Amino acid sequence: MTNSFAPPTGGAVGAENFLTDGVRAVLRVTRCHNCAGMWFPPRDQCSTCASRDVTEELTSSSGIAYASSVVRIGPPRFQAPYVLAYVDIDGVRVLAHVDSSEALPPGTPVELRLATIGADEDGPVLSYAVAPIMKGEAR
Amino acid sequence: MSRDVFIAGAAIQPFGKHRGTATEELGYLAVSRLMATAGLEAGLVDIGFGGSVYGGSLLAQRVLQRVGISGQPVFTVENACASGASAVNLAWQAVASGSVDCAIAFGAENLSSFGGGTLPLTTNDIEIAQGMVMPAAYAMRAQRYLHDWGADVESLTNVSVKNRRNGADNPRAHFQKEVTSEDVENSRPVADPLRLLHCCPNSDGAAAVVLCSEQVAARLPGPHVRVAASVVRSGRFSTGYRDMTWPEITERAAGAAYAQSGFGPDDLDLVELHDAFAIAELLHAEALGIADRGKAHAAVANGEFDRDGRVAVSPSGGLLSRGHPVGATGVAQICESYWQLTKQAGALQVSDARIALTHVTGGGIFGVDNGACAVHILSNR
Repeated sequence: MTNSFAPPTGGAVGAENFLTDGVRAVLRVTRCHNCAGMWFPPRDQCSTCASRDVTEELTSSSGIAYASSVVRIGPPRFQAPYVLAYVDIDGVRVLAHVDSSEALPPGTPVELRLATIGADEDGPVLSYAVAPIMKGEAR
Repeated sequence: MSRDVFIAGAAIQPFGKHRGTATEELGYLAVSRLMATAGLEAGLVDIGFGGSVYGGSLLAQRVLQRVGISGQPVFTVENACASGASAVNLAWQAVASGSVDCAIAFGAENLSSFGGGTLPLTTNDIEIAQGMVMPAAYAMRAQRYLHDWGADVESLTNVSVKNRRNGADNPRAHFQKEVTSEDVENSRPVADPLRLLHCCPNSDGAAAVVLCSEQVAARLPGPHVRVAASVVRSGRFSTGYRDMTWPEITERAAGAAYAQSGFGPDDLDLVELHDAFAIAELLHAEALGIADRGKAHAAVANGEFDRDGRVAVSPSGGLLSRGHPVGATGVAQICESYWQLTKQAGALQVSDARIALTHVTGGGIFGVDNGACAVHILSNR
């Protein structure tokens, strides 16, 4: 499924930590084979047990919102109000922008996508972000 | 083996907006006031520690040299919101170990120099790169707490109303005015469900204490209280699934402090707690063990944390009233508790206060509840 995924081109926030097929995104994560720790962003050494017996994996693009908020005062590049969520994806919890005008209730299924999360003097700022999956929309 | 350590004097340079007063000047004013009120001479001080986040290199030297503490070992300590309390912990270690007899610890901060809005988080951090700000971190914990425990926004508002009521009597507080539930719920939204009056203000200020052996305490004119526990812990790093409504850093720091002191949560007469945001009082009260899991919101609603309640939580007004000059906050909590235990708290006095716990935690870096947490327990016997 991830054959068509490649690092984002043209600059993105956290570009070294995810792959995209132009629409969906998947995360590069590290699994520790000594203690089962899961890490994002990826790393060479487990931050729990210091083992170097680790491998890099890719997540799917499906997750579940753990918590979320509409941020109404924030750094100018994100043009508040914007929505953030902690999202659980294949063993890691990731903070990401949400493509929505409302906070996601805990437990909301989401899809990880490539999205514009803000803008600065160089133009749109791209990164991974999540969108709530409506019933019947799951792929 | 370690020996008993005492606090024999405390001073606060009142918190508020002091835009034109540099951090080192605020620190100087607190330390100078401490030495005058505690009857402390510079030559008696063996070592000094100064906590600050944004005060810059050698802040402790720049402050302490102005009151004649110059030549002794002096250290500037940075540990986010726990910077000041970390300075106190290092001073405690120095005296407890027997290597010195008298140490000064202060915290000082000027946040007005950053202008308004949320505090700048400058660390190279994947969450900050995604737009994380401190209110958002606490807002998400709040959303999840309210969801998990069937509480509503009024639970948060009750914390703000209580602590602002307490702070109305505190001449050292940034805000000395009560607010109503309506004031809180009509204040500007910051990060849903948090509104402005659910958030502590960015403040300027400083606080200082002297820690010493029993022999030195006996020579100083003021009353002294015993440091029954002094603990600092760092956050446990994880990027996996975890319960963000349970601040495990607070649980570990408090657990160590209870073990060190021999006291437990039921022994506490008052707690000065890190209520940087109203939700924080609920999360940390549970982790400190002064409320059952999922029940702190009911404890606040029932008045159990009022100044005359089961255990007074933030009788000084907390960060919500005092404000949060980050590096100074932990020291100010210890000053307020010292005055409580020595019956010098005036209108803030908790009747028959004998044992106090102070708690600061902070540091917005990804993968931990908080970067650093400090817990102190003080006893007047």
